[in-house]
Amino acid sequence: MAAIENHQSHKIKRQISFKKKNTRVDLTPMVDLGFLLITFFVFTTTMNKPTVMKVDMPFDKTTENNPVCNSCALTVLLCNDDVIKYYDGDFSTAQFQSTSYAGIRDVICRKKEFVKRVRGTTDEFVLIIKPTVESSFKNFVDITDEVTINQVKRYYLDEVSSVEQKKL
Amino acid sequence: MGRAKLPRKSTNIDMTAMCDVAFLLLSFFILATKQKPPEAVTVMPPTSVSSKAAPEKSIIITLTKEGKCFLILGDETKKKDILKDINTTKGLGLSDQEISKFAKLTFIGMPLGQVKSALALEQMPPADKLLGIPIQDSTNNEMVDWIRSITNVYAGGDQKVLEEMILIKGDNLAKYPAFKNIKYALKKNNLFKFRIVTNSETVPTGSELYIKNKELLDKK
Repeated sequence: MAAIENHQSHKIKRQISFKKKNTRVDLTPMVDLGFLLITFFVFTTTMNKPTVMKVDMPFDKTTENNPVCNSCALTVLLCNDDVIKYYDGDFSTAQFQSTSYAGIRDVICRKKEFVKRVRGTTDEFVLIIKPTVESSFKNFVDITDEVTINQVKRYYLDEVSSVEQKKL
Repeated sequence: MGRAKLPRKSTNIDMTAMCDVAFLLLSFFILATKQKPPEAVTVMPPTSVSSKAAPEKSIIITLTKEGKCFLILGDETKKKDILKDINTTKGLGLSDQEISKFAKLTFIGMPLGQVKSALALEQMPPADKLLGIPIQDSTNNEMVDWIRSITNVYAGGDQKVLEEMILIKGDNLAKYPAFKNIKYALKKNNLFKFRIVTNSETVPTGSELYIKNKELLDKK
């Protein structure tokens, strides 16, 4: 009998020791995940903030006529495939030249310097922008941006005339 | 003298606190970031050197590369009034219930003639299936009517506030004539100033704007 009891008590003891398990969970992977998500959110949210560009249009019914000096005007025609054609002064004596959106800044800068030499001030420089029907919205934004970058005081937005269209 | 016996310490660190901090920060960032404003369709706006942030409440005219035009009325307080105004001025014949349903739409992208039939549908078709607001030419330009209703509702208020709210969001590949027609609609309603949504770009070094900005910084 005694032997049997002994055996039983031993069995109980073994069972208890088996139940005693560590309840602690290793949280390291969870922390890793937490910080990974934080970095992800921080990086994705701070980028790509939309900005706005102001555009002012002239009042069409204006009666006053602003005379533009012939040598002060630069006309740019926004054409297909991101090509810009430009000419100095009046159309009748114009020679069309082509450039790209990367090259137009130099053209504007050179013209500004020329106007400063001739008229004494860059304020008289006038940029006339004429987008053709083939030009894109990006072209328009780019050229207006170029106006801001080069601090052009006077610029006009106009339609391409039929004579210019013929020559293109 | 025997050496003091250092108790053998476990190298396990309790990660619970660190875990708490990580998730606290995570929830903070998620809640603190602004939600992306609603979009009719995704367009790729051009870049500009402008650094002015887009206002929160705004009327966004979206122009896709196919030339479709969508309108988002961002100011919830005035949205219903604008819809009511266009309902009466253009005689759409919508009931109050239909106007409420119309106001729930995040964007408007159908010709005025199709509004009533579109509202009868259980579910709105996706944006790429919609026709968009017609802006083809000056005779068939419904944007003129929409802008008129908007100006009617905002009339009496500060014109400058409205000017700052009107945003044009166009795709890089959108054609210029489509943009010109939107411009025409704004001009027709005596709105001569508006804003174009762009992505920011750094000012090129050495340009006049760069020099001017630098001078302003030096003054400060």
